[in-house]
Amino acid sequence: MKLAWSDADEEFRSSLRTFLEEHCPDEARKGKDFMANDDDRVPPWARAWQATLFDHGWMVPSYPAELGGRGATPLQTLIYLEELANQGVVRSVHFGGYAIVGPSLLEFGNNEQKAMAPAAIRGDTVWCVGMSEPDAGSDLANLSTRAVEDGDSYVVNGQKVWTSYAPYADQCFCYVRTTADPSIAKHKGISVLIVSMDTPGVEVRPIKHITGAEEFAEVFFTDAVVPKTNLVGERDGGWRITMGSLAHERGGLWVEGVAGAHRALVGLVALAQRNNLDRDPIVRRRIAAAYEQVASLRALGYKGFASFAQGSSSPEHSYMKLATSELRKELFDLGMDLLGPFGAVTEPGWAEEGGRWWQSEFIALAATIGGGTSEIQRNVVATRVLGLPRS
Amino acid sequence: MDFTLTVEQQMVRDTARALFAKECPSSLVRAHIVDPAAADVLWPHLQDWVALGDGPCTDLALFCEEAGAAIVPGPFFVTAALALPLLRAMADAAPGSPTAAIADQVGAGTRTATVAWAGVDGIWVIDPPEDHGRTFILEADRVDTIVVMLPGPSAIAVDARILREELVPVATLDTTRRCCFLSASSVASLAGATAVVPLDPDRLAGVLAGATVALAAELVGTARWLLDASVAYAKERVQFDKPIGAFQAVQHQLVDMALDVERATAAVFYAAMAVDAADEDAPRATHVAKAAAGTAARHCAKVGMQIHGGIGYTWEHDLHLYLRRAHASDDLLGDAAYHHDRLAALLFG
Repeated sequence: MKLAWSDADEEFRSSLRTFLEEHCPDEARKGKDFMANDDDRVPPWARAWQATLFDHGWMVPSYPAELGGRGATPLQTLIYLEELANQGVVRSVHFGGYAIVGPSLLEFGNNEQKAMAPAAIRGDTVWCVGMSEPDAGSDLANLSTRAVEDGDSYVVNGQKVWTSYAPYADQCFCYVRTTADPSIAKHKGISVLIVSMDTPGVEVRPIKHITGAEEFAEVFFTDAVVPKTNLVGERDGGWRITMGSLAHERGGLWVEGVAGAHRALVGLVALAQRNNLDRDPIVRRRIAAAYEQVASLRALGYKGFASFAQGSSSPEHSYMKLATSELRKELFDLGMDLLGPFGAVTEPGWAEEGGRWWQSEFIALAATIGGGTSEIQRNVVATRVLGLPRS
Repeated sequence: MDFTLTVEQQMVRDTARALFAKECPSSLVRAHIVDPAAADVLWPHLQDWVALGDGPCTDLALFCEEAGAAIVPGPFFVTAALALPLLRAMADAAPGSPTAAIADQVGAGTRTATVAWAGVDGIWVIDPPEDHGRTFILEADRVDTIVVMLPGPSAIAVDARILREELVPVATLDTTRRCCFLSASSVASLAGATAVVPLDPDRLAGVLAGATVALAAELVGTARWLLDASVAYAKERVQFDKPIGAFQAVQHQLVDMALDVERATAAVFYAAMAVDAADEDAPRATHVAKAAAGTAARHCAKVGMQIHGGIGYTWEHDLHLYLRRAHASDDLLGDAAYHHDRLAALLFG
């Protein structure tokens, strides 16, 4: 065990820092919590920034140059994610393309589909991922959007919901039911289709969420005709693809959650000082307890990385999404508490730090729902890590 | 920060685990409650490991984690993690003195020792006030040497036999570690002695930090035992025709216990690395580690008791021995609230 990385690995960090100093636009440094209420969800600066990252091999460093990387080692990838998170830099405003679709096409797609991956990772093509449905949220295998064979095509009917970036997307990576046979397990009849968003019969209705922003949408499919060549992987083999994501980056997925919590904590200390609450013993103790959580979870992330880098499974990381998303709610609750009656003020010009605290509090509420609810996370740890029987 | 264990560190952990599994069954822990001499058979197995107190905090923490899982009774912790580093600090301040010889004997495992450090408020401070008694002197009536902290800061190593009549045994929740107090007048009577050694406050802060991290490591071991016992019981206990561990209400409580154990473990070894590197983050990391470990152990004891139901509430079940240790060790060297307050002082000034 040792605190510091090697000089060679720290050189990697230096070259990244130099690149960020030279190229990173101010907009990309606002940090995720603030970004959520921009009107244009995929603005021109974001497209240009993602392309710049790709062209310099800094988009997904573990990939080869032609996929926007530089063949980085797992540790270098961790350093990359760490540095971005510490500087509050966002690499892309839509994670679906580079983090889910690109890697899935590379792993499961045919040659033509694999050729679509660079544009997905560079952000030239904006992708949405059609997973959740009204009756298939945590129980994803229950999805019912139907794809029926008709000659060289599939005819798709059904509805997706909570589809992030659907209003801006060019393509949908869409999970559909190709076999509806009650005698087989639900997850065995699912396939993935690439559906162009301009296909007749595809209709997007944005959903305004509780902050007032329109980030995700419902997507309706009415007799949408999709060529059979757009099937990704095996027919009825889509369940495997749900597990696909950036395997190389799995050891560092926790970094952004911890960094976000750390930013909130720094904000809390400053807020307490500004509002003369930093001598209040209860406030001091609550903030120290929050610091304990952030610091110990950061250590847990690194401890998990040590297992990951050795190629063994890292049970530590199973806890990180659950823990950091729950912690964020506590941190922003504390922020709202520190603001007293002014916590409820949203009026521009009057709201503390431009509305940072209420907006972050609201956004934090989504973090324990999206990407697997805290309840599902606990179920997964219970059965896969602790080895408890399924309920 | 790299948590990968070296081959030597892996060996410390494996050896300790095997040692305690073999030599420290709960029957011994229970025999020690009735007669503290029952734990003396452990010492020959432990004396070679006291030297860990001279080495990196990381290695000591690895050993202590396993000792905490076995709630090892007797003077090992206080000798290796507190008395030895304190005696070394004294020896460095007074080379060639009789204290230096005592330090060597303690380091070699041929002499046991404890420290009389905490004041009447139970708080461990670098420069203790005058006219104060000393509290929470672990194993004081069982060891060979007692190091008494004095104002200055300074300290004196005293043959335990000299103080024996003056020590006041005080029962605590913890059945595995004996505890004594010493009156203010007893402490005052030592103040003018020639063997008193003045000490560097920074060095003392380092001694306290290392011991705090080592105790946090013990607590993490204790918490992990509680978690493992509770998970095992939830898999085996059947009600309503299924193991209770199949119920989400039980599963989710176990997951929250496990999360507490995992993050406390990580915090402890991060702190150990920071202490070893004399990193500027070491003071914060030490407070985080002790607060996280104390909280985890108490949480695991409380929820573990709930998961076990009635059987866990019996004297016969070992659970309460761990509950007792969890509470006592959380309190020792500062409980979570104490460390949060110290941490706040570092965050806010």
